[in-house]
Amino acid sequence: MREAIIDFFNFFVIFYSGFLVLSYILMVILALRKHRLHGIYHNEKNTIEELRQSPYATGISIVAPAYNEEKTIIDNVRSLLSLDYPDYEVIIVNDGSKDRTLDLLIEQFELEKVPYAYIEKIKTKPFRALYKTHSDNPVYKRLTVVDKENGGTKADASNAGVNVVTNPYFVCTDVDCILDKEALYRIIWPTMNTGIRVIAVSATMRMSNGCKVVNGQMREVHPPHTLIPLFQDLEYARSFYIGKTALSTFNALQNVSGGFGLFDTDVAIKAGGYDGDSFAEDMDMIARMIRYMCDSGESYRIVQIPEICCWTEGPSNLKILSRQRTRWGRGLLQMFQVHRDMVFNPAYRQYGMFTLPYIMVFELFAPLIEFTGYMMILWLFLIQAINYHTIWIVFLALYCFAQFLSLSIITIDSFVAHGFKKQRDYLWLLLASLLEPFLYHPLNVFFSLRGYWKHIWGRRMVWGAMTRKGFQPAEASVTNGGEAGEAAEDASAEEEINA
Amino acid sequence: MDYFVLSGFGYWKYYIMLLYYRLAEYPPMVRFCAVFTTFFLLAIVVLIFLDGVRTYRNAIHARSDRRARRRYQQAVVEMATTAQNLDPDVIQDRLDIPEDYKPRPRFVRPILQMLLDIYPKIKDNINKANWREILRAFRMQVYFERQVRSRDTRRRLNALMNISDIDAELKEAIATRYLFAKDAKLKIYARIHAARYGSSYPFKVIEDDPSFRFSEEMQVRYHNVFLYRIKNRLSMPNLVQWCNLNPVNEELRIFAVNEIRLLKLDKSCPELLQLLRDTRDERFACALIKALGELKYIPAEHEFFHRYASASFAERSALVEAFGNIKSDRQDVVDFLVEDYRQTTDAVTRMKLLSTLYDYGLRGRIAYEDLKASSDEEYKIFFEHIECDLIDNKKYA
Repeated sequence: MREAIIDFFNFFVIFYSGFLVLSYILMVILALRKHRLHGIYHNEKNTIEELRQSPYATGISIVAPAYNEEKTIIDNVRSLLSLDYPDYEVIIVNDGSKDRTLDLLIEQFELEKVPYAYIEKIKTKPFRALYKTHSDNPVYKRLTVVDKENGGTKADASNAGVNVVTNPYFVCTDVDCILDKEALYRIIWPTMNTGIRVIAVSATMRMSNGCKVVNGQMREVHPPHTLIPLFQDLEYARSFYIGKTALSTFNALQNVSGGFGLFDTDVAIKAGGYDGDSFAEDMDMIARMIRYMCDSGESYRIVQIPEICCWTEGPSNLKILSRQRTRWGRGLLQMFQVHRDMVFNPAYRQYGMFTLPYIMVFELFAPLIEFTGYMMILWLFLIQAINYHTIWIVFLALYCFAQFLSLSIITIDSFVAHGFKKQRDYLWLLLASLLEPFLYHPLNVFFSLRGYWKHIWGRRMVWGAMTRKGFQPAEASVTNGGEAGEAAEDASAEEEINA
Repeated sequence: MDYFVLSGFGYWKYYIMLLYYRLAEYPPMVRFCAVFTTFFLLAIVVLIFLDGVRTYRNAIHARSDRRARRRYQQAVVEMATTAQNLDPDVIQDRLDIPEDYKPRPRFVRPILQMLLDIYPKIKDNINKANWREILRAFRMQVYFERQVRSRDTRRRLNALMNISDIDAELKEAIATRYLFAKDAKLKIYARIHAARYGSSYPFKVIEDDPSFRFSEEMQVRYHNVFLYRIKNRLSMPNLVQWCNLNPVNEELRIFAVNEIRLLKLDKSCPELLQLLRDTRDERFACALIKALGELKYIPAEHEFFHRYASASFAERSALVEAFGNIKSDRQDVVDFLVEDYRQTTDAVTRMKLLSTLYDYGLRGRIAYEDLKASSDEEYKIFFEHIECDLIDNKKYA
């Protein structure tokens, strides 16, 4: 019996790992090919110059929910208002903040309450008021502030923002995200150069921890100099440059990040907007949009672009990371529960036949399989059945593969996206890639399993507060993540109540 | 004793054989992993080498960019923005280009980068003659010709785009050869280039090619081409004729209507009205209605009334906007809008109708006030919304 279990596990792991490695190699090849074509056919300067004065530049609305963001809100709204694009508006949704977020906005941008005919195209928690500026400053005229009752999730706040969007496309972002000045040109371009309707565009996001931010503008990009955000930076780069880029080559992109993504307003509203109950509302939204397009028999595309458009503040300690990853794990399981009818359903094209099964096998089941592997090794160690002559070469092969992947990412980042200006910054990513398999990956496995556990046992979970360090005043241009804004009180931590 | 000297593939064969025989006693998993490890170690070495080369090249490029800027930027900006036309010799002297300068990428790349950065900043007050002489001094035309003729698609495309970015020159015959290129993007950019700089009638290639897809990118680029040609008094296509082209090329027809609207070619309105009468296509009809509205073509109103009853939601929305834009101040239009407001139940349409009435001259305003006085309490917010100056009602919903 013991031999049978060990043999079964051996073969299972060999085939599973083999397929996983093979799929990654294929993805690297596809991603490199796409990056090469992008390099050949895309000339960013030319694109921006063509669009800058054009009456054909598609209007974009930026929707950014804010909940208790008094530390950073003014700088971040200024950052959003200083973007370079001919036709855009900024919609800040105050999701019933308990601090001075709304007061600060009113005071700083000379806002006043206007009688707005709010049409609830997507159901949300009650709308309170809408604010516009009475200032003569033309930049402030782009700003709209929506005040609503707290809905407990980002999805509900985003939906309220989508209800007042006036443009054909909207970007959903977080107020703590720092957008590149030319991000909107980059993200709208894929919708314009194809004959097929582009329903969503995903752009590359990176960590802002370690970067130099002045007045809400990115001045210098550096990698985070603390381990957890550094690992996350590498993870983001891997996901955007390889996974998402490769999947988007055959229109099978699974997710457009909630931190920065462009959506077709009409399709998003018809698909029902974000699901307020979902913990992976961005992934769920894409599933719903694809469902809508496939059910109505229309062609669509979801595109990933390699350019870095947005920097976000990553969790700086284990507690916040654990909260974030537990939520993601829970959201993934929840997404499969809600959209299980799409899996292996040819009506949903690539998404149903490839993306969802792939994610199910290699993302949803992966933590379970890995955890079983750890337990198995422990058991084999206890019964002294480990073959030490063999195990080291297996680990070495996998470790070399992980390093190969990380170096591919660094190469892509350096060749295509020019993530860091100074080449020595890449050494930090190299350091992260050397340590990641031992320190970061096992933690993520544990947090994901925790998320599954909570979902299965029906524990209620509200959005934990992301502790912001905040950006700095203009006079003291120091590095984000420095001592300037010490961590805010971790007030409303994760709340778990037995259902 | 004979010795074999290993070379090229022989080394690999030797290594693989060594691996095979050395590990022959081990289980297949170990042998597989050994090969796997070797492969990835090699891949890692290659990637490190590539990154190293890239780093070195970046450093060299950055240094040459800095040097080019330090040497030429100030002189180029000053000469390009001088009102008086400078003698070519004076420009040559000021630039003081080294004798060994050749129109090759090594020399031109940093200068081109500098020109690409400078041109958008000074293009509004540029002295075109001086600018052309500066480009000639750097022998940009020869460089671009070589780039466009090269076999590398990336070089060809970038050259074609950069020419328009810095308003450089290229012999017409060179770009023309790619008008029917196999590579779709190259074909598109060659056509755009030809359309921008073509001296005779460069639009025939579009008119004769019904398969040419006219995406939004094309619309952006062709609009800029038209502005350039108008500014430089070059020949323009007959846009009304484009509206009558093969209905298969629907995007091109819609673009032509939009261009008539944006370039304010109001003499084409009678033809547009006739097209509106004949068309059944919703998107084309919407573009025509919008154009007729913005060009304030009053005779179109009768057709608008006629069309409204059977129109789709998008068309109705365009028609209401068009009534608002024409502002003929006719009582029958006001009555029509009021009647439609009373009949419709859709909130967005109601808002559009009220907004149109509010801005529709004195008669419209009176009707608006009447509706406001007789409205239910729940609709009061619509009126307050429209009267608020801080909200841009044109973009609402």
